[in-house]
Amino acid sequence: MNMPRKETAVNPRPVIYAGRFADEVPTAKLPGDCEVLDDWSVLPFRLAEALEDATALVVLDLFSFPFESITEEQRDVPLVVVLPSDFDAPFLNTVFGEPLFGTLGPLDRVATADPALWEGLRRGYRWTDGQRIELDSDRPVEAAARVLARLEEEAAGTVLDKAVYRVRAGALGPQFVAACGVRAEDVPFDALEVGVGSGRWASSFDPAATRFAGLGFTEGLVEAAIADFPGGRFDLIGDGFAFPHADESFDLAFAVSVLHHQPAASKKTLISEMWRVARPGGRLMFLEDFVAGDLEHVVSIQKFVDLVLEATAGRVILEHFEALRYPRDPYFRGGLISLSKVGTPQTW
Amino acid sequence: MPDNEFYAPDDIDLLRMENELLAFEVRFLKTRLGEPAKIPGSSTSLNRLGYLEEAERDLILLLHRLSGRPTGPVLRRTRSFRVLEQKYLHSPRPRSSSSPERLAYLEEAERDLILLLRRAFTSPFGKLLRRRKAFRTLEQRYLQTP
Repeated sequence: MNMPRKETAVNPRPVIYAGRFADEVPTAKLPGDCEVLDDWSVLPFRLAEALEDATALVVLDLFSFPFESITEEQRDVPLVVVLPSDFDAPFLNTVFGEPLFGTLGPLDRVATADPALWEGLRRGYRWTDGQRIELDSDRPVEAAARVLARLEEEAAGTVLDKAVYRVRAGALGPQFVAACGVRAEDVPFDALEVGVGSGRWASSFDPAATRFAGLGFTEGLVEAAIADFPGGRFDLIGDGFAFPHADESFDLAFAVSVLHHQPAASKKTLISEMWRVARPGGRLMFLEDFVAGDLEHVVSIQKFVDLVLEATAGRVILEHFEALRYPRDPYFRGGLISLSKVGTPQTW
Repeated sequence: MPDNEFYAPDDIDLLRMENELLAFEVRFLKTRLGEPAKIPGSSTSLNRLGYLEEAERDLILLLHRLSGRPTGPVLRRTRSFRVLEQKYLHSPRPRSSSSPERLAYLEEAERDLILLLRRAFTSPFGKLLRRRKAFRTLEQRYLQTP
């Protein structure tokens, strides 16, 4: 049975949709195990077959690709869109706008040789610099080669399955909104992500209304997060997992797929620190695996709840819980638990 | 359907953890369904809000009654009574029905009502007040109900 890849290194098998430029993109000139499709190859059965085990779909010819007909499952294949540089941002925005650009998440990529075009689109859709693939040339074969080289580089590291990301984003989104609540426009929302990685979840918050902070475990990822989200504050987690923030600094402290990598003592310290830096009435959120798989430190939900109660001396209220089942996984493995901190503020 | 698409987990420990996870979700959902409706963005139930609004109305009526009687000028000599009159009879009330300020205002009104009733019933006039049914009801509702 196929299991979700979640966060693993994978052998890249990208599919390139060259459309009208298929003749200009000979497969022999491209590195690795990839398939090139022309504009006749996007009939549903043909596309389904091609995308079956694809690790990415690279669209070189945006205008002829039938985005409206791809299925939910096919949307779980990371997408790389190569922007045609003969057109400006307002035009592309009008033609593709929210149905395409608005659906691109942190695991999708945008390739362009035109910095002005990139700048013209990225702000509106909260794309990060890490999502951009810089092209030297617009020629389809060179663009394809550059994109494939980048995908190969990324595949050497850990890659999160887009389907897993979709399930997590679907669960977290409404809870982020609930945590933010109803607040005056001039009152910023302070959010802290523990185990921030490259800052993927930062784009879920409105940068104009949120002061986002992240704590990471590796220097490289923290640097990537700083580059992608210059408005945020990102730090390395210190020795003994002590957070560099004052008590009651955040309205939300959350961790996604972090604590199940940590032994019980570290889990407890991290939870305790998250509780310390959350404001009374603020939220603590954990999206973790609670069914053991390949990971050593996964604990059951009951043990996790016991740990939370121990780390916070029971000063939390359960606001939300939902079990998550990732695509192609036989088990409900994940769970999102949202708690509010009980207590009296130290300062008013 | 190919064989590998059937749900056929075979690890008993994993099954136990998954059962625990789903049972926890069921418990949470049952608890949530059993709760009364909530005000968006607040953990205060509508029942509690209704009770607090009633307490505010009772406090205003009580203050009107006390200040309109011959005892009014006597009571007004105490600063705390003047503050209560100013706050609940002569000041505008918070408008929004669900804002945190409104909730805080109502909770304060409830506390003020309880303090006022306690002071009234422990004063030399307590026995006189208890002769009236309306005062006995207030005493029962706010001082004797846990």
